[in-house]
Amino acid sequence: MLKYLFAKNEDIPAGSSAIYFGFSSIVWFVIGTGLGSFNAAKLAFPDAFVGGGEFFSFGHMRQVHVHAVIFGWISMAFAMAMMYITPVLGNTKLWSEKLGVWNCTLWNVGLSLGLTVLWAGMTSGREYSDFPWFIDLYLAVAVFIPLAVNVWMTILTRRTQGIYTTNWFFAAATFMVIIVFIVGNLPEFFHLTGLTEAYLTWWFAHNVLGLWITPVAAAIAYYTIPKVTGNPLYSHRIGHLHFWSVVVFYSTPAAHHLMSSPLPEWLKSFASVEGVLILVPAIAFVSNILLTMQGKWNMFVENLEVRFTVTGCLLAIPLNMQGGFQQTRAINWYVHGTGWIVAHAHLALLGFSTFLEGAAVYLGLQTLMKRKLYSLTLGNVHFWMLLIGFSIYWISMTIAGLIQGAGKIYEVPYIDVVIAEHPYMIARWLGGTMVFISNIVWLYNMWMTAREGTVVPAGRMPHEMAYER
Amino acid sequence: MSWIFEKPLVTLSDTKKIESDKVLWEAEDLGGITEDNNRVPVPIVWLVALTVLTAFAITFPLWGQRPTAAIYAEYVQAMDKPEIKAIQSDVAAIERIVAMSQGSQYNAQLERHPVTMDDLRILKPQIEELTKKGVDLKDYTVVGAQVVLANFEGNFRADGSRERQQPWWDKGYTIDIFYLSYFFIFVVLIIKRLPPSTWQPRHGGEHK
Repeated sequence: MLKYLFAKNEDIPAGSSAIYFGFSSIVWFVIGTGLGSFNAAKLAFPDAFVGGGEFFSFGHMRQVHVHAVIFGWISMAFAMAMMYITPVLGNTKLWSEKLGVWNCTLWNVGLSLGLTVLWAGMTSGREYSDFPWFIDLYLAVAVFIPLAVNVWMTILTRRTQGIYTTNWFFAAATFMVIIVFIVGNLPEFFHLTGLTEAYLTWWFAHNVLGLWITPVAAAIAYYTIPKVTGNPLYSHRIGHLHFWSVVVFYSTPAAHHLMSSPLPEWLKSFASVEGVLILVPAIAFVSNILLTMQGKWNMFVENLEVRFTVTGCLLAIPLNMQGGFQQTRAINWYVHGTGWIVAHAHLALLGFSTFLEGAAVYLGLQTLMKRKLYSLTLGNVHFWMLLIGFSIYWISMTIAGLIQGAGKIYEVPYIDVVIAEHPYMIARWLGGTMVFISNIVWLYNMWMTAREGTVVPAGRMPHEMAYER
Repeated sequence: MSWIFEKPLVTLSDTKKIESDKVLWEAEDLGGITEDNNRVPVPIVWLVALTVLTAFAITFPLWGQRPTAAIYAEYVQAMDKPEIKAIQSDVAAIERIVAMSQGSQYNAQLERHPVTMDDLRILKPQIEELTKKGVDLKDYTVVGAQVVLANFEGNFRADGSRERQQPWWDKGYTIDIFYLSYFFIFVVLIIKRLPPSTWQPRHGGEHK
């Protein structure tokens, strides 16, 4: 890939940047979940794993895990999907493969630098925006703006009159994430403190989820399901309801992360209503995708990409039921600051989002490399280990969170709560480690697909061909 | 781009626009993806309506919203009564204060925001100070140990009178009703500009 950095744009094969992003994302997924497994081991086996100096302390390592997963795995898988799907939907080529290759290189460099400084203990200490200000600026300028330019220019130079639903989301999300990054990090640029910092921290954290991860993951499903099943998208109208409700309802509830803070009550009430209303885009999304599956439910069993996508779509139901209600004053009082929230975050990022973009990476890499998946068995192993590992993690942390909530409300001594939740910390480590191992299997499978996968003839899609292994 | 309002629940576009939309919809190949023109299913419409109602019902500030200073004004006054001063036990004193305040317009809120005598001793000087200033205690919020102006309480006219004072149950709700209304009007307008949902595009020459 590096040879394309200084090649002419027309000499770079179509799909190069998407393949680069695809493999980068899987590598970051392995690294991110490996760090997650290590961190979970520290909580499950504190006698064996606590120690080893400050660099391996939980406080340092947790931030590295979170940022590797969000800005490595999830965001680079999104970039992969955009580099692949945006031009396809416009019946055109990517505006600039060279920009895409540079974008991916600078992304990998910047993320490595960012994670290194986090590891070294240089942090803003603001959840999800822990990177120090110079890394934030780097990510805005060298990562998200070039990505947006490539996506927007590809859409503007499309050869279709209309723009398909997926590209509405891609265009809007690449624009909104730049705003979120710059405005959300203002406290670091201008040293804002107090309640302003708290609010903007959660404005950033909420909107990175709501205006970047959630809409892009959903946009991918809008492509994958119609493309692989061959069914038309059930309803263009529901697509409108989904898109606009994401923009309107997901952008406003940041204050619901701070329900116990001295923010104005009107702001919290407003945010709390909007927080429940994130169920509107969720209802629109889930119904549109599941109704598109009509007559093709056999593919949920038979086709790996469809199985990943529909699983992610189904996980959107508990995700949004939790997200919609856990922020209300009555419920937040109980679950705030407990493992319940950790479980919910993993449901969003490792459940809903990961399964949707996993499908895009499977489909995109096979299509662009014109290679059938090396091993369906390994693909199935990946799916089931990922799903079971995630489920163990999610359920165990949800239970641990409820125990912590009870301990908090009834003022149980902290050490008693720690002892009570210890079994669930072990289960969390087991689940997380299964996810980590499954991703090593995935990386091997995709590497072997690139090297030895059956060639897909021109004009055919990988899913149209039978597996040979 | 002209609008028609003869059948607003069917379409808001004129025949010319509908016909051009239909031609484009059927002719265009979006990377092999096609879309249908199905209406938003009735159960989904009801589910969205239920969600909106639930959003207001479950966030209604019966639980957890910080109280205003006004609800404790009677308690604070009662603290200076000889009958209360004569009670030695704090527990008995607060029980007596609560009993004396039965019938207050704030009873329901006071039940949800109980205080101890120690709490009242912290609040008392702050509430008395505000009362001396002649401000409306309903504008002031009890945030932990402090009584502060912690919410936007509406605009004042030039003569000093209030345009509208937010009741305790409406801190952020009216604005939400407007916000939601604008959203749903906007989305309905967008959707109703499409060809009527009775028409379905033909994909691959197959008539639906």
